Amino acid sequence: MGLKPEEIKSPLAAFIAEHACARTVRITALERFGSGAVQENWRVDAEIDGKAEVFVMRASSASEGVAESMSRVHEFALLAAAHAARIAVPEPLWLGSDPGLIGRQFYIARFVPGVAAAHRLVRDPALGDALVARLGEELARIHALRPGHPALAFLEMPQPTPARANVARIRVFLDRHPTPHPALEWVLRWLELHEPPCRELKLAHRDYRTGNYLVERGELRAILDWEFSAWSDPHEDLGWFCARCWRFGSNEREAGGIGSREAFYQGYERAAGRNIERAAVPYWEVMAHARWASMAIQQGVRHLSGRDRSLELALTARIAPELELEALHLIRAIEDAPRGASWRS
Amino acid sequence: MRDRPSAADLIEIAREVLQQELLPRLPPELRTHGLMVANALANAEREISAGMAPELAELGRLASRYGEGTDASGGERLQGALERLNRRLVADIRAGRLDGNREIARHLFATAVDAVRESNPKYLRSRGIE
Repeated sequence: MGLKPEEIKSPLAAFIAEHACARTVRITALERFGSGAVQENWRVDAEIDGKAEVFVMRASSASEGVAESMSRVHEFALLAAAHAARIAVPEPLWLGSDPGLIGRQFYIARFVPGVAAAHRLVRDPALGDALVARLGEELARIHALRPGHPALAFLEMPQPTPARANVARIRVFLDRHPTPHPALEWVLRWLELHEPPCRELKLAHRDYRTGNYLVERGELRAILDWEFSAWSDPHEDLGWFCARCWRFGSNEREAGGIGSREAFYQGYERAAGRNIERAAVPYWEVMAHARWASMAIQQGVRHLSGRDRSLELALTARIAPELELEALHLIRAIEDAPRGASWRS
Repeated sequence: MRDRPSAADLIEIAREVLQQELLPRLPPELRTHGLMVANALANAEREISAGMAPELAELGRLASRYGEGTDASGGERLQGALERLNRRLVADIRAGRLDGNREIARHLFATAVDAVRESNPKYLRSRGIE
């Protein structure tokens, strides 16, 4: 069950007053955003010593949520590091690490206006290659952060490689799940056998896709939802962004359902100053479908467990079959591709 | 023997009432919920209409692969047999005993297509599979 506005209003006002060093804080509106199946996002309208301000509160879910998502404490640190690196993110302000305050861990960030809803963005005719080039550029900025960053020591190094770590995590989940998933297992085995070499580790967002960024009047305003970030192969984010499951029906626009793949790649390459290993991206698109399938199955578990009962979560679980099928389809396409189109040849 | 209207008939008419009568009158903030309910009902409708055929076909392929008879026709026994054979298949896949096996790849593809026919038949059309 979600947080109750009437119960959290007054502890939240006290929390903001303490951190903003304000005499009086009045919360004038508290409204949950529709998105955020894993975390709860709230818009907080407040009057701080009489001055109106808008914030976002991001709170952990009632249950443990999805296994690989990080705590609010780490997410806050990550957001701070990204903000310091001038990556477009909502500026993180204050961390409520004591779950006794409102019943969950949470943090407050500055509100950024814009639209995140994927179904609206992919249908907006004003959006296209310019936006995906900009998204490529922003991704390159994220990938400029590397292991050894002093504020990000809590992020684990993938063992032995990013691809193997993904496969191992999904298998751990499947081993605990009551129903066997042979198609997903087949995809994981293929991923294990066809791993392209990982040449470098960068900060990867690992949920960089349409639906997780804010657009206002055609401009990129902020990258959201950092809870899955980790050190990884930068091609993981490129494959995730272009994967068919994140085009929201706008399938012919391969970069996030918004623009062309080439515009996205070129925006990235210009900012990164290095080339994308184009042949490695389809491998990471297979990975994207495998990982999203396992997450979709986990959303169904959350619903069935009774801790986060929700029609949205239950329906998300029903997406898993088409994600498995798409992964099988992609593997066929990769294997049938002429030699020379593969990183292995 | 149960008489009709069956569970599938009831879900179908319930979904039609929702889509034709209720959805147009829902306030905008509840529209997404209404659409999700319609989607859930359509999913359940397709699963009920497909009946046991997809799982029996899956079991038939698994049983012939592992040299077993297919007499599991009761609901409980079908689920039990499917789970046992699928666990064996999963163990074989992970151990690399089926690497590159085209027959298994075809089996998994067919099983996934049957599942998607229930969960999202539009996907099959958009991918040119059906």
